[in-house]
Amino acid sequence: MLGYVKNTYFARLKTFKPLYMTPKRLLKAMLLPVVMLFAFQVAVAQNKTVSGKVTDGKDGSPVAGASVAAKGTTTGTSTAADGSFQLSVPANAKVLVVSSVGFGTLEVNITDNMNIVLASSGSNLNEVVVVGYGSARKKDQTGAVAQVKAKDFNKGVLTAADQMIQGKVAGVQVVNNSGAPGGGTTVRIRGNSSIRSSNQPLFVVDGVPLDGGNARPGLGNNLGGIPGANPLNFINPNDIASMEILKDASAAAIYGSRGANGVILITTKKGQAGAPKIDFNAGVGVASIMKRFEVMDGDEYRAALTKYGATSGNYGDNVDALGAILRNAVTQNYNASVSGGNDAGKYRLSIGLTDQQGIIKESGLKRATASLSGSYKFLDSKKLGLDFNLFTAQSIENVAPISNDAGFQGSLIGHALQWNPTHPLRNSDGSVYVIPQFGNTSINPLAMLEAYDDNVNTTEVLASVSPYYKFNNNLEYRLLYSIRKGVGVRKNEIKRFLNLQGNLGSASVGTAEQNTQQLTHTLTYNNQITSDINLNAVAGYEYMKYDNLSYGMGGSDFADFAGLSYYNYLQNAPGNRRGIGSGAGPITELQSYFARAVINWQDRLVLTGTVRADGSSKFGANNKYGVFPSFALAWNLSNEKFLANNKVVNNLKVRAGWGRTGNQEFPAAASLNRYQINGPNDVTRSNFGNPDLTWEQSDMINVGADFGLFDDRVWGTIDWFQKTSTKVLFEQIVAQPGPPGSAKYWINLPGNILNTGFEVAVNAALVRGKDFSWNAGINASFLKNELRDFGNQFFETGGLSGQGISGARAQRLVSGQPLNVFYLRQFEGIDANGQSIYTNDGNKLFYSGNPNPTTLLGITTDLNYKKFSAVINMNGAFGHVIYNNTLNTVLPIGNLGTRNIASSLVGDNKAKEAISNAIAPSTRYLESGNYLKLANATVSYNVGNIGKAFRNVNISLTGQNLFVITKFSGFDPEVNVDKQVDGIPSFGIEYIPYPTARTILLGVSFGL
Amino acid sequence: MNIKQLLILFVGAIVLASCSKLEEKYRGGVEAVAEGGVNVADVLQGAYNALNNPFQDQSRFWAASQHTTDETIGPTRGPDWDDNGVWRVLHSHNWDADHLFLRDTYRELLQAQYAASNVLALNPSAQQAAEAKFIRALSMWCILDGWDQVPVRTDLDKVTVLPEVLKGKTAYDFIMKDLSEALPNLPVGSAIKANKDAARALMMKMLLNKGVYAGSRKAPTFDAADMNQVIALADQILNSGYQLDDNYFDAFGPANSSKSKEMIYALENTNGLRGGNNQSRWYCTLHYNQRPSGWNGFTTVAETYDRFEAGDKRLSASYPGVTDVSGLKVGLLAGQQFDQNGAPLKDRKNNNLAYTKTVKLKETGNDLEITGIRVVKYAPDYKVEFPAENEYVIFRAADVWLMKAEALLRTGRAGDGLAIVNTIRTKRGATPFTSLTLDNLLDERSRELYWEGWRRNDLVRFGKFLGAWTEKPASGEERLLFAIPSEQLAVNPNLSQNPGY
Repeated sequence: MLGYVKNTYFARLKTFKPLYMTPKRLLKAMLLPVVMLFAFQVAVAQNKTVSGKVTDGKDGSPVAGASVAAKGTTTGTSTAADGSFQLSVPANAKVLVVSSVGFGTLEVNITDNMNIVLASSGSNLNEVVVVGYGSARKKDQTGAVAQVKAKDFNKGVLTAADQMIQGKVAGVQVVNNSGAPGGGTTVRIRGNSSIRSSNQPLFVVDGVPLDGGNARPGLGNNLGGIPGANPLNFINPNDIASMEILKDASAAAIYGSRGANGVILITTKKGQAGAPKIDFNAGVGVASIMKRFEVMDGDEYRAALTKYGATSGNYGDNVDALGAILRNAVTQNYNASVSGGNDAGKYRLSIGLTDQQGIIKESGLKRATASLSGSYKFLDSKKLGLDFNLFTAQSIENVAPISNDAGFQGSLIGHALQWNPTHPLRNSDGSVYVIPQFGNTSINPLAMLEAYDDNVNTTEVLASVSPYYKFNNNLEYRLLYSIRKGVGVRKNEIKRFLNLQGNLGSASVGTAEQNTQQLTHTLTYNNQITSDINLNAVAGYEYMKYDNLSYGMGGSDFADFAGLSYYNYLQNAPGNRRGIGSGAGPITELQSYFARAVINWQDRLVLTGTVRADGSSKFGANNKYGVFPSFALAWNLSNEKFLANNKVVNNLKVRAGWGRTGNQEFPAAASLNRYQINGPNDVTRSNFGNPDLTWEQSDMINVGADFGLFDDRVWGTIDWFQKTSTKVLFEQIVAQPGPPGSAKYWINLPGNILNTGFEVAVNAALVRGKDFSWNAGINASFLKNELRDFGNQFFETGGLSGQGISGARAQRLVSGQPLNVFYLRQFEGIDANGQSIYTNDGNKLFYSGNPNPTTLLGITTDLNYKKFSAVINMNGAFGHVIYNNTLNTVLPIGNLGTRNIASSLVGDNKAKEAISNAIAPSTRYLESGNYLKLANATVSYNVGNIGKAFRNVNISLTGQNLFVITKFSGFDPEVNVDKQVDGIPSFGIEYIPYPTARTILLGVSFGL
Repeated sequence: MNIKQLLILFVGAIVLASCSKLEEKYRGGVEAVAEGGVNVADVLQGAYNALNNPFQDQSRFWAASQHTTDETIGPTRGPDWDDNGVWRVLHSHNWDADHLFLRDTYRELLQAQYAASNVLALNPSAQQAAEAKFIRALSMWCILDGWDQVPVRTDLDKVTVLPEVLKGKTAYDFIMKDLSEALPNLPVGSAIKANKDAARALMMKMLLNKGVYAGSRKAPTFDAADMNQVIALADQILNSGYQLDDNYFDAFGPANSSKSKEMIYALENTNGLRGGNNQSRWYCTLHYNQRPSGWNGFTTVAETYDRFEAGDKRLSASYPGVTDVSGLKVGLLAGQQFDQNGAPLKDRKNNNLAYTKTVKLKETGNDLEITGIRVVKYAPDYKVEFPAENEYVIFRAADVWLMKAEALLRTGRAGDGLAIVNTIRTKRGATPFTSLTLDNLLDERSRELYWEGWRRNDLVRFGKFLGAWTEKPASGEERLLFAIPSEQLAVNPNLSQNPGY
């Protein structure tokens, strides 16, 4: 229901005295080469030419695109694909400054034919990494933070940033919820700590925190709720330079009430000093279905009919209905960027075009992105500077009719799977069958594709400006102002001819708007206070404002006009079949004060402390502000005498930290008593307010170590953590009578959720040769999750769908069990009459499986041989079960005679299951979710420069989702169909999702 | 002024300007503390609408009142209609405190009570208050009838203040007080709003069942004074000029609010404005291959079908605008079904679509799609099949007459009662009775009111609810009440579980 807006109430803020009212400053700029700030001199007339090669200190591989400039000049260049460079420098230049994104910055004396070795990220502790509200030397890091750089990102057709780090970082689980182009993901950092609100981490793009949503209007129609898209789609993955994952609370606490699920910092590519350069890459790929759900073909079906003595159901043909809606989908992807600049100003302009066909006909995503970033310095002193970013994206999605919760009316994949394979899909004249002979509950998937149209046009802009002023070498003030504006328009129709129950032909047009503003002040102080002590401190103030709106209109009972779409003439719907609605989400505000200090003593001990005070308009009147502190200590053992010059251990740092973070993902106005407007002259009380409502709180202890062994040929990280979430946000059942609008109200539960885990990541440079190098990395995490002290309450979720099991739920939240534990009848087999046998006759349900993986695995290896290189990325999840709702309700044996069934149900060795066997939900449909997937593999050949125009030409071939090793019988064990009940999220249920694609992509990239 | 000072001033100004009080700028509705922001009439309409789902949906109070009886069964048809057993346990009297639909019924009826109480808290006019009290009484009566324990909330703003629980006679008195207070200020006329006759009809139900609610559910007694009040109220209602419809099914047809002369109180279904899920009444029973294409679910059982004599107009009829369009008849659909051209319909297994009198809770044979006689009381409107515009009938005059006859019978005036019953039977095309007994009156109530949601109430009052019938053995005494939903037991310690659960 949607309602109008009438604001009549102003919540009172608890008296709060701001800590500071003076200007605040921020830490140094991000990955920009610090050295550049000091280097500005007038160029001299006479020049000389310097040439050489830049290589990666880790494995000797060439570093392409590294910035090379003579210190104190405005000119520079960047290295070619083989790492080589040639640069004209003033005759009196003595020093070259070399840097590359993710690598440190190096100054080297100019010599002939230079061979410059950049320290690689594996162990280089002088490297500067982005942290919340600033950057820090890697050696000063005390928390569990993982960095993934562009060169290590997953390859292939990826539309959103989170997909690029899947399997890359221990403790981070990324699940592609469906195979739809631009489809959503489930990202969980260190497990699952919230039972009602989102478990997605906070994403921060160049200092701008995102709110996790987008301006894509949702849709529910006759088919059920259609899943959403990935809110990160508006950022071109090609624009991303690196991502830092703040896994533990000591690192994430600087984000306070939004940090409880971890934080992912996205740093985009920036221009580098040097002559303007153009980079271009293009890819074209073909995708097809990775793995099918095995159903019978026409002949098998006829054999099954005979076996069962069925007298009807054979229509003589042999069709592949799933095949009929699938295609070999072509994806094209083009990216171009121009970048350059000098000491006083750098810029990067980038555009990207993606046209991705979905493997289901008609579906697809077209996206155009453009971004501009710049960094400029002013005044003679260069103390005043300005950084800015502009990201724009326009996407057009054609969405397939696949819903999360299709009932007996099914959705496209369900209908394709259960289509009787002996029944033709088309009439003899080529037109599609609409009502097949075997009953009008069956819907021809081709007819559905023809009758359905759902397109979403989303435009998004994220702009930020960040002026700063350096008072001196130690003190800097920075302002960041950002706006995000998104507008999405969604048009949907179901043509009248489709034989859905109650379908009169319906259409809707929906619009959503998203407006976010941010203002951040930071003051950064960075100084070597004594020869022993280095202090890096930041203090700041942040204000964020979220304003989300939506409106829509729709109707049904349309007259058909050939070639026209209903949604273009909604006025044709009869008056009593029209609907309009508008809704304005409450404006929410978040106001915060934060500070951090990092004290480094002799590079031996590093102490970090942070504190953030968050106030939110969403919090109840009695709880407006929360304080989130953290502390962490690191000890660089390798700088101690007893490890100095150790032959085995060349780097060892142990870390321990504690932090408190929050989660405030509950709907605004949950703390208020309020009315909702349902329709004309129709208003009801809709909510019990809770003036005590406050954020969910997670306390995390983390103990870990970073190590480098054998001259950094082996390096890695080990972490153990324990995360206890309390004041868990939950919608409590109202003791009735209560307002009709909601049977629940938001509270902070007395129970707690315990997540413990162990993470290990090890990388090795197995071979470091001149022509041949081989690196391998593996990361694993072991997670345990339990809901505790929850009393006798339990809540049901995991709403199963499909004909015959309306209202059945498969999962519970209950004390002493993992979140979303399966609670089901115990299946014991098929009896002599072909009926299912259940423990206790099915009258008792059992806790019967954990959908949360206990082990996550990521494997990466890369090989370089001369100009060839190969990268393989694999990921897997183990120790969990998946509920196969598709097998349960879409393809049961009872379909035999009318519709198709799963191939696995009839076999020579199987007990004969009666066609009449009821399809009660049970452990029969729980399957092991273990899998190992070859997520992507790339082979590339570095052509080098072609003529004078093309430099750094590279050709690559990428295979994505090449294979998956699993026993799961559905499309893909990497699945999470949204089966929430009353807002309580589900996990690990498969139900006729958009199938996963396997893609082969040919790419070429070069510079000009 | 140098640049540093300028900057400090500028930044200082920004920080000061940007300090927020964090006011909750709620725009999606109206804040309850500013009650002046809402119109009482709007909230009253919201309270009426709160009755829609608990009454009209096929899985709410109707299911509780029908599936538990000898009028209705929800068989599991092979792979279809398992629904985790929710329908089977209702019919076989095996429900427990976790029953999904009983839980939701309890919740939604209490929400309607809240919505009505909310009107009373907003300084309503005398008539608005009377309407709200009627709505409140109706919803509370359902709870009293089904669960005995009626939670009532006095503080509408503080969720932490737990509702107190009224039981038995206390609840009965509370409801009767609401109704008595409402009666003088209720309007006369429109049957889709609370009206004087609606309140009287509800008072009749209360008085007739007082022995159940305030005495013993197992062996209710009937006080003569109460029965005389029932008769007096019936006379007041019937003096308003209600008549038995010439076409029995007009009371439920698409235009029932204008065609029927029996309608006393009904829930309004108007497309584009408001309404409930009344189309579920035909979807839940019709086969997929009928028109409208249904869900092939609920049926009636032999006991109900066998009560009818041939020629009873209530048994089966053609209905204009329906039968001529699709071949679908109204009433009890037994045997072969046809399309509008008289061609026999088939089921999805290619059997003839011929509904059988025999039906089991678990259907496993090749005929599993066609077992059970279907019931179409509300004739669909092909112009507006979905959502239905038929008003959902709660009280109609035939019921009032039958209640009056019952009160006469229970006070030794069987002859007067017989006359009333025979008037109805004659109008419906049935042979007049020679005498009136509790047994044939109970049967007559089923013939007249089948599938209207009264059967459980009637069986309990007549002491027959625990008996055995098709696919249901005799049940234990605890089944006279539903279990208090465990969801509510967990959050309201003032509730206690009903005995036997």
